[in-house]
Amino acid sequence: MNMLNEIDMEFKERDYSKPREEKTEIKIDNVSMIFQDKKGGEPVTALKNVNLDIREGEFISLLGPSGCGKTTLLRIIADLLQPSEGTVTVRGETTRDIRLQKKYGIVFQNPVLYDWRTVRRNVCMPMELLGMKKPERTSQVSKMLDLVGLSEFGQNYPYELSGGMQQRVGIARALAINPEILLMDEPFSALDEFTREKLHIDLLKIWRKTNKTVVFVTHNISEAVFLSDRVVVLSPHPGRVSAVIDINIPRPRDMESKQTPEFYDYITKIRNSFEGV
Amino acid sequence: MIDKKEKYIVNLVWTMGIVVVWELIAFFLDQVVHDPMAEAKLPYLHNIIVSIAHNFTELISAAGLTFSRAFIGFALGATIGVMLAIIMSLSKIAEKIALPYLILSQMIPVLGLAPIIFTLARNMNTSRIVIAAYITFFPVAINMLSGMNSVESDKKELLYSYAAKKKSVYCKLMIPYSLPYLFAGLKIAAPMSITASILVDMLGSSGGIGVKLLYALYSGTKDVFWASVITSALMGIISYFIVIFFERICMPWRKQVVQ
Repeated sequence: MNMLNEIDMEFKERDYSKPREEKTEIKIDNVSMIFQDKKGGEPVTALKNVNLDIREGEFISLLGPSGCGKTTLLRIIADLLQPSEGTVTVRGETTRDIRLQKKYGIVFQNPVLYDWRTVRRNVCMPMELLGMKKPERTSQVSKMLDLVGLSEFGQNYPYELSGGMQQRVGIARALAINPEILLMDEPFSALDEFTREKLHIDLLKIWRKTNKTVVFVTHNISEAVFLSDRVVVLSPHPGRVSAVIDINIPRPRDMESKQTPEFYDYITKIRNSFEGV
Repeated sequence: MIDKKEKYIVNLVWTMGIVVVWELIAFFLDQVVHDPMAEAKLPYLHNIIVSIAHNFTELISAAGLTFSRAFIGFALGATIGVMLAIIMSLSKIAEKIALPYLILSQMIPVLGLAPIIFTLARNMNTSRIVIAAYITFFPVAINMLSGMNSVESDKKELLYSYAAKKKSVYCKLMIPYSLPYLFAGLKIAAPMSITASILVDMLGSSGGIGVKLLYALYSGTKDVFWASVITSALMGIISYFIVIFFERICMPWRKQVVQ
Protein backbone atom coordinates (compact mmCIF):
# COMPACT_ATOMS: atom_id res chain seq x y z
CA MET A 1 0.00 0.00 0.00
CA ASN A 2 2.89 2.38 -0.71
CA MET A 3 0.72 4.06 -3.27
CA LEU A 4 -1.60 5.25 -0.53
CA ASN A 5 0.86 7.92 0.56
CA GLU A 6 1.14 9.35 -2.92
CA ILE A 7 -2.55 9.85 -3.28
CA ASP A 8 -3.13 11.23 0.19
CA MET A 9 -3.77 14.66 -1.24
CA GLU A 10 -6.72 13.42 -3.21
CA PHE A 11 -8.86 12.84 -0.18
CA LYS A 12 -9.67 14.94 2.81
CA GLU A 13 -8.39 12.97 5.76
CA ARG A 14 -10.54 12.42 8.81
CA ASP A 15 -9.53 14.50 11.82
CA TYR A 16 -9.90 12.37 14.89
CA SER A 17 -9.13 15.20 17.36
CA LYS A 18 -12.37 17.02 16.70
CA PRO A 19 -15.71 15.55 17.73
CA ARG A 20 -17.64 14.38 14.72
CA GLU A 21 -20.88 16.03 13.65
CA GLU A 22 -23.70 13.74 14.54
CA LYS A 23 -25.84 14.04 11.47
CA THR A 24 -28.15 11.17 10.65
CA GLU A 25 -27.46 9.74 7.22
CA ILE A 26 -29.70 6.68 7.06
CA LYS A 27 -32.88 6.48 9.10
CA ILE A 28 -34.41 3.04 9.51
CA ASP A 29 -37.89 3.54 10.88
CA ASN A 30 -39.85 0.60 12.24
CA VAL A 31 -38.89 -1.75 9.40
CA SER A 32 -40.41 -5.22 9.22
CA MET A 33 -39.85 -7.77 6.50
CA ILE A 34 -42.10 -10.75 6.03
CA PHE A 35 -41.36 -13.29 3.29
CA GLN A 36 -44.44 -15.07 2.04
CA ASP A 37 -43.90 -18.73 1.43
CA LYS A 38 -44.84 -19.37 -2.19
CA LYS A 39 -45.92 -22.94 -1.52
CA GLY A 40 -48.50 -21.78 1.01
CA GLY A 41 -46.49 -22.47 4.14
CA GLU A 42 -46.03 -20.17 7.14
CA PRO A 43 -44.74 -16.70 6.22
CA VAL A 44 -41.23 -16.05 7.57
CA THR A 45 -40.61 -12.89 9.56
CA ALA A 46 -37.04 -11.92 8.67
CA LEU A 47 -37.10 -8.53 10.41
CA LYS A 48 -39.45 -7.16 13.04
CA ASN A 49 -39.75 -3.50 14.02
CA VAL A 50 -36.17 -2.49 13.38
CA ASN A 51 -35.27 1.09 14.29
CA LEU A 52 -31.80 2.45 13.68
CA ASP A 53 -30.13 5.76 12.86
CA ILE A 54 -26.86 5.53 10.97
CA ARG A 55 -24.72 8.65 11.23
CA GLU A 56 -22.88 10.39 8.45
CA GLY A 57 -19.34 9.09 7.95
CA GLU A 58 -19.87 6.31 10.43
CA PHE A 59 -18.54 2.77 10.11
CA ILE A 60 -21.38 0.63 11.39
CA SER A 61 -21.57 -3.16 11.49
CA LEU A 62 -24.67 -5.30 11.41
CA LEU A 63 -23.67 -8.37 13.38
CA GLY A 64 -25.56 -11.57 14.01
CA PRO A 65 -25.84 -15.28 13.35
CA SER A 66 -27.24 -16.53 10.07
CA GLY A 67 -30.97 -16.02 9.77
CA CYS A 68 -30.99 -12.82 11.83
CA GLY A 69 -31.91 -10.71 8.80
CA LYS A 70 -28.71 -8.67 8.61
CA THR A 71 -28.33 -9.18 4.87
CA THR A 72 -32.04 -8.54 4.40
CA LEU A 73 -31.66 -5.21 6.21
CA LEU A 74 -28.70 -4.29 4.01
CA ARG A 75 -30.66 -5.19 0.89
CA ILE A 76 -33.55 -3.02 2.07
CA ILE A 77 -31.15 -0.09 2.53
CA ALA A 78 -29.76 -0.78 -0.96
CA ASP A 79 -33.28 -0.78 -2.47
CA LEU A 80 -32.81 -4.37 -3.63
CA LEU A 81 -35.77 -5.33 -1.42
CA GLN A 82 -38.87 -3.45 -0.35
CA PRO A 83 -39.75 -3.70 3.36
CA SER A 84 -43.17 -5.10 4.24
CA GLU A 85 -43.63 -2.34 6.81
CA GLY A 86 -41.79 0.81 7.81
CA THR A 87 -39.47 3.01 5.81
CA VAL A 88 -35.80 3.61 5.20
CA THR A 89 -34.80 7.14 4.28
CA VAL A 90 -31.43 8.57 3.42
CA ARG A 91 -31.26 12.25 4.36
CA GLY A 92 -35.00 12.45 3.85
CA GLU A 93 -34.97 10.82 0.43
CA THR A 94 -36.23 7.33 -0.38
CA THR A 95 -33.75 4.53 -0.98
CA ARG A 96 -35.01 4.34 -4.56
CA ASP A 97 -34.11 7.99 -5.18
CA ILE A 98 -30.67 7.41 -3.74
CA ARG A 99 -30.20 4.34 -5.94
CA LEU A 100 -31.31 6.22 -9.04
CA GLN A 101 -28.84 8.97 -8.16
CA LYS A 102 -26.17 6.23 -8.05
CA LYS A 103 -25.05 7.12 -4.56
CA TYR A 104 -24.65 3.52 -3.35
CA GLY A 105 -21.55 1.41 -3.70
CA ILE A 106 -22.17 -2.24 -2.94
CA VAL A 107 -19.58 -4.91 -2.20
CA PHE A 108 -21.11 -8.35 -2.30
CA GLN A 109 -20.13 -11.53 -0.52
CA ASN A 110 -18.74 -12.86 -3.80
CA PRO A 111 -16.66 -10.38 -5.76
CA VAL A 112 -19.29 -10.46 -8.60
CA LEU A 113 -16.77 -9.53 -11.26
CA TYR A 114 -17.58 -9.81 -14.93
CA ASP A 115 -15.32 -12.58 -16.26
CA TRP A 116 -15.16 -11.09 -19.75
CA ARG A 117 -13.76 -7.79 -18.55
CA THR A 118 -10.21 -7.13 -17.42
CA VAL A 119 -9.66 -5.76 -13.91
CA ARG A 120 -9.48 -2.21 -15.29
CA ARG A 121 -12.71 -2.58 -17.24
CA ASN A 122 -14.48 -4.13 -14.26
CA VAL A 123 -13.61 -1.11 -12.15
CA CYS A 124 -14.56 1.11 -15.07
CA MET A 125 -18.03 -0.38 -15.48
CA PRO A 126 -20.01 1.84 -13.04
CA MET A 127 -18.42 4.93 -14.58
CA GLU A 128 -19.58 3.86 -18.02
CA LEU A 129 -23.09 3.64 -16.62
CA LEU A 130 -22.68 7.11 -15.18
CA GLY A 131 -21.70 8.38 -18.62
CA MET A 132 -18.27 9.64 -17.63
CA LYS A 133 -15.84 10.62 -20.39
CA LYS A 134 -13.08 8.21 -21.31
CA PRO A 135 -10.00 10.19 -20.13
CA GLU A 136 -11.75 10.84 -16.83
CA ARG A 137 -12.58 7.14 -16.48
CA THR A 138 -9.03 6.05 -17.24
CA SER A 139 -7.49 8.29 -14.60
CA GLN A 140 -10.12 7.35 -12.02
CA VAL A 141 -9.55 3.62 -12.64
CA SER A 142 -5.80 4.07 -12.11
CA LYS A 143 -6.46 5.96 -8.90
CA MET A 144 -8.82 3.26 -7.61
CA LEU A 145 -6.41 0.45 -8.45
CA ASP A 146 -3.65 2.34 -6.61
CA LEU A 147 -5.97 2.65 -3.64
CA VAL A 148 -6.51 -1.11 -3.40
CA GLY A 149 -2.93 -1.94 -4.39
CA LEU A 150 -3.68 -3.65 -7.69
CA SER A 151 -2.09 -1.26 -10.21
CA GLU A 152 -0.02 -4.02 -11.74
CA PHE A 153 -3.00 -6.24 -12.42
CA GLY A 154 -5.13 -3.88 -14.48
CA GLN A 155 -4.87 -5.90 -17.69
CA ASN A 156 -5.50 -9.28 -16.04
CA TYR A 157 -8.76 -11.14 -16.20
CA PRO A 158 -10.52 -12.00 -12.91
CA TYR A 159 -9.73 -15.71 -13.18
CA GLU A 160 -6.03 -14.86 -12.99
CA LEU A 161 -6.41 -13.26 -9.55
CA SER A 162 -6.64 -14.79 -6.08
CA GLY A 163 -9.86 -14.53 -4.07
CA GLY A 164 -8.51 -11.67 -1.95
CA MET A 165 -7.44 -9.71 -5.02
CA GLN A 166 -10.82 -10.26 -6.66
CA GLN A 167 -12.54 -8.92 -3.56
CA ARG A 168 -10.31 -5.84 -3.68
CA VAL A 169 -11.33 -5.29 -7.30
CA GLY A 170 -14.93 -5.40 -6.05
CA ILE A 171 -14.11 -2.73 -3.46
CA ALA A 172 -12.33 -0.57 -6.05
CA ARG A 173 -15.35 -0.85 -8.34
CA ALA A 174 -17.72 0.13 -5.52
CA LEU A 175 -15.60 3.19 -4.71
CA ALA A 176 -15.03 4.15 -8.35
CA ILE A 177 -18.00 6.47 -8.75
CA ASN A 178 -17.36 7.98 -5.33
CA PRO A 179 -20.58 6.80 -3.72
CA GLU A 180 -21.79 8.45 -0.55
CA ILE A 181 -22.71 5.19 1.11
CA LEU A 182 -20.70 1.99 0.98
CA LEU A 183 -22.73 -1.15 1.66
CA MET A 184 -20.71 -4.29 2.32
CA ASP A 185 -22.36 -7.70 2.62
CA GLU A 186 -19.96 -10.11 4.36
CA PRO A 187 -17.27 -9.10 1.89
CA PHE A 188 -14.44 -11.04 3.53
CA SER A 189 -16.26 -14.13 4.75
CA ALA A 190 -14.97 -16.35 1.95
CA LEU A 191 -11.34 -15.40 2.51
CA ASP A 192 -8.66 -16.97 4.65
CA GLU A 193 -7.69 -15.37 7.97
CA PHE A 194 -4.42 -13.82 6.70
CA THR A 195 -5.96 -12.18 3.66
CA ARG A 196 -8.90 -11.01 5.74
CA GLU A 197 -6.69 -9.30 8.33
CA LYS A 198 -4.77 -7.52 5.61
CA LEU A 199 -7.96 -6.36 3.93
CA HIS A 200 -9.28 -5.08 7.30
CA ILE A 201 -6.30 -2.76 7.58
CA ASP A 202 -6.65 -1.75 3.92
CA LEU A 203 -10.35 -1.09 4.31
CA LEU A 204 -9.82 1.14 7.36
CA LYS A 205 -7.17 3.10 5.47
CA ILE A 206 -9.48 3.55 2.52
CA TRP A 207 -12.37 4.52 4.76
CA ARG A 208 -10.20 7.08 6.55
CA LYS A 209 -9.29 8.63 3.23
CA THR A 210 -12.69 8.63 1.64
CA ASN A 211 -14.94 9.59 4.56
CA LYS A 212 -17.82 7.39 3.48
CA THR A 213 -20.64 6.05 5.54
CA VAL A 214 -20.04 2.30 5.66
CA VAL A 215 -22.66 -0.30 6.53
CA PHE A 216 -20.84 -3.58 7.03
CA VAL A 217 -22.64 -6.89 7.43
CA THR A 218 -20.77 -9.70 9.18
CA HIS A 219 -21.15 -12.73 11.43
CA ASN A 220 -17.62 -12.36 12.79
CA ILE A 221 -17.54 -10.61 16.20
CA SER A 222 -13.87 -9.61 16.23
CA GLU A 223 -14.12 -8.31 12.67
CA ALA A 224 -17.07 -6.13 13.68
CA VAL A 225 -15.30 -4.80 16.79
CA PHE A 226 -12.05 -4.09 14.98
CA LEU A 227 -13.61 -2.17 12.12
CA SER A 228 -16.62 -0.35 13.52
CA ASP A 229 -17.62 2.81 15.34
CA ARG A 230 -20.79 1.03 16.37
CA VAL A 231 -21.88 -2.60 16.28
CA VAL A 232 -25.55 -3.37 15.85
CA VAL A 233 -26.26 -6.81 17.26
CA LEU A 234 -29.19 -8.54 15.59
CA SER A 235 -30.84 -11.66 16.91
CA PRO A 236 -32.90 -14.13 14.92
CA HIS A 237 -36.47 -15.45 14.87
CA PRO A 238 -37.65 -12.84 14.21
CA GLY A 239 -34.71 -10.63 13.22
CA ARG A 240 -34.51 -7.61 15.53
CA VAL A 241 -31.96 -5.27 17.06
CA SER A 242 -30.93 -6.68 20.43
CA ALA A 243 -28.08 -4.28 21.23
CA VAL A 244 -26.20 -1.32 19.82
CA ILE A 245 -22.67 -1.10 21.16
CA ASP A 246 -20.32 1.87 20.73
CA ILE A 247 -16.74 0.80 20.09
CA ASN A 248 -14.40 3.39 21.56
CA ILE A 249 -11.10 1.83 20.61
CA PRO A 250 -8.93 4.76 19.46
CA ARG A 251 -8.29 5.24 15.77
CA PRO A 252 -6.34 4.77 13.62
CA ARG A 253 -6.46 1.11 14.56
CA ASP A 254 -3.85 -1.46 13.62
CA MET A 255 -2.99 -5.05 14.49
CA GLU A 256 -1.94 -3.94 17.96
CA SER A 257 -5.46 -2.72 18.68
CA LYS A 258 -6.42 -6.37 18.66
CA GLN A 259 -4.06 -7.07 21.57
CA THR A 260 -5.62 -4.55 23.92
CA PRO A 261 -7.82 -5.60 26.86
CA GLU A 262 -10.62 -3.31 25.76
CA PHE A 263 -10.79 -5.17 22.42
CA TYR A 264 -11.47 -8.37 24.33
CA ASP A 265 -13.89 -6.59 26.65
CA TYR A 266 -15.97 -5.56 23.64
CA ILE A 267 -15.94 -9.07 22.24
CA THR A 268 -17.08 -10.47 25.60
CA LYS A 269 -19.74 -7.79 25.90
CA ILE A 270 -21.13 -8.59 22.47
CA ARG A 271 -21.02 -12.32 23.11
CA ASN A 272 -22.97 -11.79 26.33
CA SER A 273 -25.54 -9.70 24.55
CA PHE A 274 -26.25 -12.77 22.39
CA GLU A 275 -26.71 -15.01 25.38
CA GLY A 276 -29.07 -12.49 26.93
CA VAL A 277 -31.46 -12.96 24.02
CA MET B 1 -2.76 -30.83 -18.86
CA ILE B 2 -0.68 -31.74 -21.92
CA ASP B 3 1.62 -29.29 -23.64
CA LYS B 4 1.69 -28.37 -27.32
CA LYS B 5 4.32 -30.93 -28.34
CA GLU B 6 2.48 -33.80 -26.71
CA LYS B 7 -0.75 -32.68 -28.31
CA TYR B 8 0.99 -32.69 -31.67
CA ILE B 9 2.23 -36.23 -31.14
CA VAL B 10 -1.24 -37.42 -30.11
CA ASN B 11 -2.76 -35.91 -33.25
CA LEU B 12 -0.04 -37.40 -35.45
CA VAL B 13 -0.53 -40.89 -34.02
CA TRP B 14 -4.28 -40.64 -34.49
CA THR B 15 -3.96 -39.56 -38.12
CA MET B 16 -1.43 -42.27 -38.88
CA GLY B 17 -3.62 -44.82 -37.15
CA ILE B 18 -6.66 -43.92 -39.22
CA VAL B 19 -4.66 -44.05 -42.48
CA VAL B 20 -3.18 -47.45 -41.64
CA VAL B 21 -6.48 -48.98 -40.51
CA TRP B 22 -8.24 -47.60 -43.60
CA GLU B 23 -5.64 -49.05 -45.98
CA LEU B 24 -5.69 -52.40 -44.17
CA ILE B 25 -9.48 -52.72 -44.40
CA ALA B 26 -9.41 -51.72 -48.08
CA PHE B 27 -6.68 -54.28 -48.69
CA PHE B 28 -8.69 -56.91 -46.83
CA LEU B 29 -11.81 -56.29 -48.92
CA ASP B 30 -9.89 -56.14 -52.19
CA GLN B 31 -7.25 -58.85 -51.86
CA VAL B 32 -8.37 -61.23 -49.13
CA VAL B 33 -12.16 -61.41 -49.54
CA HIS B 34 -11.98 -60.55 -53.27
CA ASP B 35 -15.18 -58.57 -52.91
CA PRO B 36 -16.22 -57.37 -56.37
CA MET B 37 -17.72 -54.25 -54.74
CA ALA B 38 -14.59 -53.49 -52.74
CA GLU B 39 -13.97 -50.27 -54.62
CA ALA B 40 -17.43 -48.99 -53.69
CA LYS B 41 -17.46 -50.23 -50.12
CA LEU B 42 -14.08 -48.85 -49.13
CA PRO B 43 -11.53 -47.88 -51.77
CA TYR B 44 -7.86 -47.41 -50.92
CA LEU B 45 -7.23 -44.09 -49.25
CA HIS B 46 -4.34 -43.30 -51.58
CA ASN B 47 -6.64 -43.81 -54.59
CA ILE B 48 -9.07 -41.28 -53.11
CA ILE B 49 -6.27 -38.77 -52.52
CA VAL B 50 -5.12 -39.22 -56.11
CA SER B 51 -8.68 -38.73 -57.29
CA ILE B 52 -9.03 -35.55 -55.20
CA ALA B 53 -5.80 -34.29 -56.74
CA HIS B 54 -7.06 -35.10 -60.25
CA ASN B 55 -10.39 -33.36 -59.79
CA PHE B 56 -9.06 -30.71 -57.48
CA THR B 57 -10.30 -27.55 -59.27
CA GLU B 58 -13.72 -29.04 -59.96
CA LEU B 59 -14.15 -30.20 -56.39
CA ILE B 60 -12.97 -26.92 -54.91
CA SER B 61 -15.27 -24.80 -57.07
CA ALA B 62 -18.23 -27.08 -56.30
CA ALA B 63 -17.39 -27.09 -52.61
CA GLY B 64 -16.87 -23.33 -52.65
CA LEU B 65 -20.31 -22.79 -54.18
CA THR B 66 -22.04 -24.91 -51.53
CA PHE B 67 -19.88 -23.60 -48.72
CA SER B 68 -20.44 -19.92 -49.51
CA ARG B 69 -24.24 -20.34 -49.67
CA ALA B 70 -24.19 -22.38 -46.47
CA PHE B 71 -22.12 -19.68 -44.86
CA ILE B 72 -24.54 -16.89 -45.82
CA GLY B 73 -27.43 -18.99 -44.52
CA PHE B 74 -25.51 -19.77 -41.36
CA ALA B 75 -24.78 -16.10 -40.69
CA LEU B 76 -28.40 -15.18 -41.38
CA GLY B 77 -29.69 -18.01 -39.17
CA ALA B 78 -27.30 -17.10 -36.36
CA THR B 79 -28.44 -13.46 -36.45
CA ILE B 80 -32.09 -14.50 -36.35
CA GLY B 81 -31.33 -16.96 -33.55
CA VAL B 82 -29.61 -14.32 -31.44
CA MET B 83 -32.44 -11.83 -31.99
CA LEU B 84 -35.06 -14.43 -31.08
CA ALA B 85 -33.14 -15.31 -27.93
CA ILE B 86 -32.95 -11.66 -26.88
CA ILE B 87 -36.66 -11.12 -27.55
CA MET B 88 -37.55 -14.26 -25.59
CA SER B 89 -35.34 -13.24 -22.67
CA LEU B 90 -36.85 -9.74 -22.64
CA SER B 91 -40.37 -11.05 -22.29
CA LYS B 92 -41.51 -14.25 -20.61
CA ILE B 93 -44.74 -14.03 -22.61
CA ALA B 94 -42.80 -13.93 -25.89
CA GLU B 95 -40.84 -16.96 -24.73
CA LYS B 96 -44.01 -18.87 -23.82
CA ILE B 97 -45.56 -18.02 -27.18
CA ALA B 98 -42.53 -18.59 -29.39
CA LEU B 99 -40.90 -21.66 -27.87
CA PRO B 100 -43.51 -24.26 -28.95
CA TYR B 101 -43.35 -22.91 -32.51
CA LEU B 102 -39.57 -23.08 -32.50
CA ILE B 103 -39.64 -26.69 -31.36
CA LEU B 104 -42.39 -27.49 -33.84
CA SER B 105 -40.31 -25.97 -36.64
CA GLN B 106 -37.62 -28.53 -35.92
CA MET B 107 -40.10 -31.40 -36.30
CA ILE B 108 -40.37 -30.82 -40.04
CA PRO B 109 -37.70 -32.90 -41.75
CA VAL B 110 -35.35 -30.84 -43.89
CA LEU B 111 -35.75 -33.44 -46.61
CA GLY B 112 -39.44 -32.54 -46.82
CA LEU B 113 -39.00 -28.83 -46.31
CA ALA B 114 -36.29 -28.32 -48.92
CA PRO B 115 -38.49 -29.07 -51.98
CA ILE B 116 -41.20 -26.77 -50.58
CA ILE B 117 -38.73 -23.93 -50.16
CA PHE B 118 -37.34 -24.64 -53.62
CA THR B 119 -40.80 -24.52 -55.18
CA LEU B 120 -41.52 -21.24 -53.41
CA ALA B 121 -38.18 -19.58 -54.08
CA ARG B 122 -37.59 -21.03 -57.56
CA ASN B 123 -33.96 -20.28 -57.01
CA MET B 124 -31.28 -22.72 -55.95
CA ASN B 125 -29.11 -20.19 -54.14
CA THR B 126 -31.99 -18.73 -52.18
CA SER B 127 -33.14 -22.22 -51.19
CA ARG B 128 -29.66 -23.18 -49.99
CA ILE B 129 -29.42 -20.03 -47.89
CA VAL B 130 -32.91 -20.39 -46.44
CA ILE B 131 -32.40 -24.03 -45.49
CA ALA B 132 -29.00 -23.36 -43.93
CA ALA B 133 -30.50 -20.48 -41.95
CA TYR B 134 -33.45 -22.65 -40.95
CA ILE B 135 -31.12 -25.30 -39.56
CA THR B 136 -28.94 -22.76 -37.77
CA PHE B 137 -31.36 -20.50 -35.94
CA PHE B 138 -32.78 -23.13 -33.59
CA PRO B 139 -29.67 -24.38 -31.73
CA VAL B 140 -28.37 -20.82 -31.65
CA ALA B 141 -31.58 -19.39 -30.18
CA ILE B 142 -32.02 -22.17 -27.62
CA ASN B 143 -28.41 -22.09 -26.44
CA MET B 144 -28.26 -18.32 -26.25
CA LEU B 145 -31.55 -18.20 -24.34
CA SER B 146 -30.39 -20.76 -21.81
CA GLY B 147 -27.22 -18.68 -21.40
CA MET B 148 -29.19 -15.52 -20.69
CA ASN B 149 -31.49 -17.38 -18.31
CA SER B 150 -28.53 -18.61 -16.28
CA VAL B 151 -27.03 -15.19 -15.48
CA GLU B 152 -26.44 -15.12 -11.71
CA SER B 153 -28.79 -12.81 -9.84
CA ASP B 154 -25.99 -10.96 -8.02
CA LYS B 155 -24.49 -9.98 -11.39
CA LYS B 156 -27.86 -8.46 -12.31
CA GLU B 157 -28.26 -6.84 -8.90
CA LEU B 158 -24.96 -5.05 -9.36
CA LEU B 159 -26.31 -3.30 -12.45
CA TYR B 160 -29.66 -2.73 -10.74
CA SER B 161 -27.88 -1.00 -7.88
CA TYR B 162 -26.45 1.44 -10.42
CA ALA B 163 -29.89 1.96 -11.95
CA ALA B 164 -28.64 0.66 -15.31
CA LYS B 165 -30.98 0.87 -18.29
CA LYS B 166 -32.24 -2.26 -20.10
CA LYS B 167 -29.92 -1.56 -23.01
CA SER B 168 -26.87 -1.40 -20.71
CA VAL B 169 -27.95 -4.57 -18.92
CA TYR B 170 -27.96 -6.40 -22.25
CA CYS B 171 -24.79 -4.88 -23.67
CA LYS B 172 -22.75 -5.14 -20.49
CA LEU B 173 -24.07 -8.33 -18.95
CA MET B 174 -26.60 -10.56 -20.70
CA ILE B 175 -24.95 -10.78 -24.12
CA PRO B 176 -21.31 -11.11 -23.04
CA TYR B 177 -22.34 -13.60 -20.37
CA SER B 178 -24.12 -15.82 -22.88
CA LEU B 179 -21.34 -15.76 -25.51
CA PRO B 180 -19.99 -19.19 -24.48
CA TYR B 181 -23.52 -20.57 -24.85
CA LEU B 182 -23.91 -18.85 -28.22
CA PHE B 183 -20.70 -20.45 -29.46
CA ALA B 184 -21.84 -23.86 -28.23
CA GLY B 185 -24.91 -23.39 -30.44
CA LEU B 186 -22.84 -22.18 -33.38
CA LYS B 187 -20.57 -25.22 -33.10
CA ILE B 188 -23.58 -27.50 -33.39
CA ALA B 189 -25.11 -25.49 -36.21
CA ALA B 190 -22.09 -24.95 -38.47
CA PRO B 191 -21.58 -28.52 -39.75
CA MET B 192 -25.38 -28.99 -39.86
CA SER B 193 -25.83 -26.00 -42.12
CA ILE B 194 -23.24 -27.44 -44.52
CA THR B 195 -25.02 -30.81 -44.57
CA ALA B 196 -28.34 -29.08 -45.24
CA SER B 197 -26.82 -27.12 -48.09
CA ILE B 198 -25.44 -30.29 -49.66
CA LEU B 199 -28.89 -31.81 -49.38
CA VAL B 200 -30.40 -28.90 -51.26
CA ASP B 201 -27.76 -29.35 -53.99
CA MET B 202 -29.10 -32.84 -54.56
CA LEU B 203 -32.60 -31.58 -55.33
CA GLY B 204 -31.59 -30.57 -58.83
CA SER B 205 -29.04 -27.84 -58.56
CA SER B 206 -26.69 -27.19 -61.41
CA GLY B 207 -23.61 -26.87 -59.24
CA GLY B 208 -22.30 -27.60 -55.80
CA ILE B 209 -20.67 -30.52 -54.06
CA GLY B 210 -24.02 -32.31 -53.65
CA VAL B 211 -24.41 -32.43 -57.43
CA LYS B 212 -20.93 -33.88 -57.82
CA LEU B 213 -21.83 -36.50 -55.24
CA LEU B 214 -25.04 -37.43 -57.00
CA TYR B 215 -23.56 -37.58 -60.53
CA ALA B 216 -20.63 -39.67 -59.36
CA LEU B 217 -23.02 -42.06 -57.65
CA TYR B 218 -25.18 -42.48 -60.77
CA SER B 219 -22.32 -42.65 -63.25
CA GLY B 220 -20.45 -45.20 -61.16
CA THR B 221 -17.27 -43.16 -60.92
CA LYS B 222 -16.48 -44.44 -57.47
CA ASP B 223 -13.24 -42.57 -56.97
CA VAL B 224 -14.95 -39.23 -57.69
CA PHE B 225 -17.81 -40.21 -55.39
CA TRP B 226 -15.44 -40.92 -52.53
CA ALA B 227 -13.45 -37.79 -53.27
CA SER B 228 -16.70 -35.79 -52.98
CA VAL B 229 -17.63 -37.51 -49.72
CA ILE B 230 -14.24 -36.65 -48.23
CA THR B 231 -14.54 -33.07 -49.47
CA SER B 232 -17.99 -32.76 -47.87
CA ALA B 233 -16.67 -34.10 -44.59
CA LEU B 234 -13.77 -31.66 -44.72
CA MET B 235 -16.20 -28.78 -45.30
CA GLY B 236 -18.06 -29.69 -42.13
CA ILE B 237 -14.84 -29.96 -40.13
CA ILE B 238 -13.50 -26.68 -41.49
CA SER B 239 -16.75 -24.88 -40.63
CA TYR B 240 -16.43 -26.19 -37.06
CA PHE B 241 -12.88 -24.92 -36.74
CA ILE B 242 -13.81 -21.52 -38.16
CA VAL B 243 -16.30 -21.22 -35.28
CA ILE B 244 -13.61 -22.28 -32.78
CA PHE B 245 -11.27 -19.67 -34.26
CA PHE B 246 -13.80 -16.88 -33.76
CA GLU B 247 -14.64 -18.19 -30.30
CA ARG B 248 -11.01 -17.72 -29.25
CA ILE B 249 -10.89 -14.22 -30.67
CA CYS B 250 -14.17 -13.17 -29.09
CA MET B 251 -13.56 -14.69 -25.67
CA PRO B 252 -9.95 -14.17 -24.57
CA TRP B 253 -11.02 -14.65 -20.95
CA ARG B 254 -11.94 -18.25 -21.69
CA LYS B 255 -8.38 -19.18 -22.66
CA GLN B 256 -7.85 -21.30 -19.60
CA VAL B 257 -11.03 -23.24 -20.32
CA VAL B 258 -10.47 -23.74 -24.05
CA GLN B 259 -6.93 -25.05 -23.83
